[in-house]
Amino acid sequence: MKLIIATIVVTVSTVAGFHHAFVPTAATSSTTSTSLRALYGEPRPVQIIPSVLPADFGKLGADCAALEAAGCDRIQFDVMDGNFVPNLTFGPDTIKWCRGYTGLPFETQLMVSEKCTDAMLPQFTECTKGPNGEPGVVIVHVEACTHLHRALSNIRAQGGSPSVALNPHTPAEMIENVLDLVDHVLVMTVNPGFGGQAYIPTMTEKIRKIRKWVVDRNLDIDIEVDGGIKATKETIGACAEAGANCFIAGSGLFAYEDMAQGVKELTAMAKEGQGLKA
Amino acid sequence: MSTPCCASPHCVECAIGPSMLASDLSNLSSNAKSVIAAGADELHLDVMDGHFVPNITWGAPVIKCLRKSVGEDAYFDCHMMVSSPSQWVKDIADAGGSRYCFHLEAALTDSNINSSVVELCKLIRSCGMEVGVALKPGTDVSAVRDFVSLVDMVLVMTVEPGFGGQKFMPNMMPKVVHLRDTFPNLNIQVDGGLSPSTIDVAAKAGANSIVAGSAVFKAADKEEVILGLRNTVERLGMGRKEGELTKKVKTRGAEVGVLVAGLMFFAGKYM
Repeated sequence: MKLIIATIVVTVSTVAGFHHAFVPTAATSSTTSTSLRALYGEPRPVQIIPSVLPADFGKLGADCAALEAAGCDRIQFDVMDGNFVPNLTFGPDTIKWCRGYTGLPFETQLMVSEKCTDAMLPQFTECTKGPNGEPGVVIVHVEACTHLHRALSNIRAQGGSPSVALNPHTPAEMIENVLDLVDHVLVMTVNPGFGGQAYIPTMTEKIRKIRKWVVDRNLDIDIEVDGGIKATKETIGACAEAGANCFIAGSGLFAYEDMAQGVKELTAMAKEGQGLKA
Repeated sequence: MSTPCCASPHCVECAIGPSMLASDLSNLSSNAKSVIAAGADELHLDVMDGHFVPNITWGAPVIKCLRKSVGEDAYFDCHMMVSSPSQWVKDIADAGGSRYCFHLEAALTDSNINSSVVELCKLIRSCGMEVGVALKPGTDVSAVRDFVSLVDMVLVMTVEPGFGGQKFMPNMMPKVVHLRDTFPNLNIQVDGGLSPSTIDVAAKAGANSIVAGSAVFKAADKEEVILGLRNTVERLGMGRKEGELTKKVKTRGAEVGVLVAGLMFFAGKYM
């Protein structure tokens, strides 16, 4: 009788053990390499990059200085021309003036039409440069560049750091053939044009796909995400686990009374998503 | 007697509107407050969308922040150098625009349905803003004649729009003279290269509303430049005599000083 009970116990335990091994984990972040949803490849440094969209445009320079003091890695300028997106924000001269208030690297996202991209790319590349002429990140939208290969090459030739952005509906495949030209890829996780929108969860798989290409091809590329990013598992956590390491936070950072605290919380949540201790 | 460059004297009050495009764009609020304190009647805000002109400056989000910081009283003259003027009327009104000055060339080619110039003017007014219409240098003044009764102001560009710091075009003055002689009570604005060295010509032609950028923001004494422009319009455009010209704006300190001096005088006399 005792032998029968022991056998049953062992059998049940063994079956339970097998079951545990084969059921996919539901969690979006995982710290074990045996999990089906762990970060693919080695983690890249987490960077928290505020967007100036929620800032006070009456004193943008001072706000940039405050972002530097809060420990941000870079500042993103959302250039919108009212044609590519239904909002009009600011242009190269505003960015140029802000340079006088902070030494942080800049990145400029050109949510502008093809006509504007072609005509103004040199000006935007120039005004995005660092205090000593270091390359600034210039992001063109794949949807606004009929000749994307040429546009990205031009950014590099003009002394910028090329990046390409994809709107939510745009498949990752649209940038597959220009990964050798860019230092970053920006996956929009909202429809561009306005701040304060909610993260689109279907973008997580797009991030994962691009990350796999980057790792498998041994490319030195940061994956950036922009839109609805907050210090939560569902947004920054999910993006980090899928392979993003640069996080644009607009309202998600400006909501904090103490932005330095916001940067810490966002960084910690991102690192957790990557499977690292904060 | 009018000549191609001189209109008959008019009675339309002078308005000086410094162009914020010539200031530190990362510190707009502080610059706006300083020119208002220096006597500016309006703030000229150039909205450029990279399509109507080859430059992008700012849109409603920036204007909204500026309105919040300078308060309700400041007059925001929004010069809309955009390809679709009808698209931004509500946004600019919500942001706090006072006057919506669209370009006639853009309004006539606006791709929005039902956006005729007449409808556009109605829309602007329905949103609580005054109406201005602007002409690029290459546009003949006759193109605006039929719309003058619908607007509060006509802007005659004296440079090709798109960038600050350009040279004033004196050959635009016959347009100003024609408008002043045809519509004696019209608000006529000039914008582009206006400064103490070009204001005489503009004032004689009959312009009463002056947009000046670098001339104001690069001046050591903004108040002096603004007053100088105003006095020239009063003298050469309105025919006022020296004694009738606007005097220097008294500073609050000076007023307090006069009050204290007066109190001390009476205290000394009667105590």
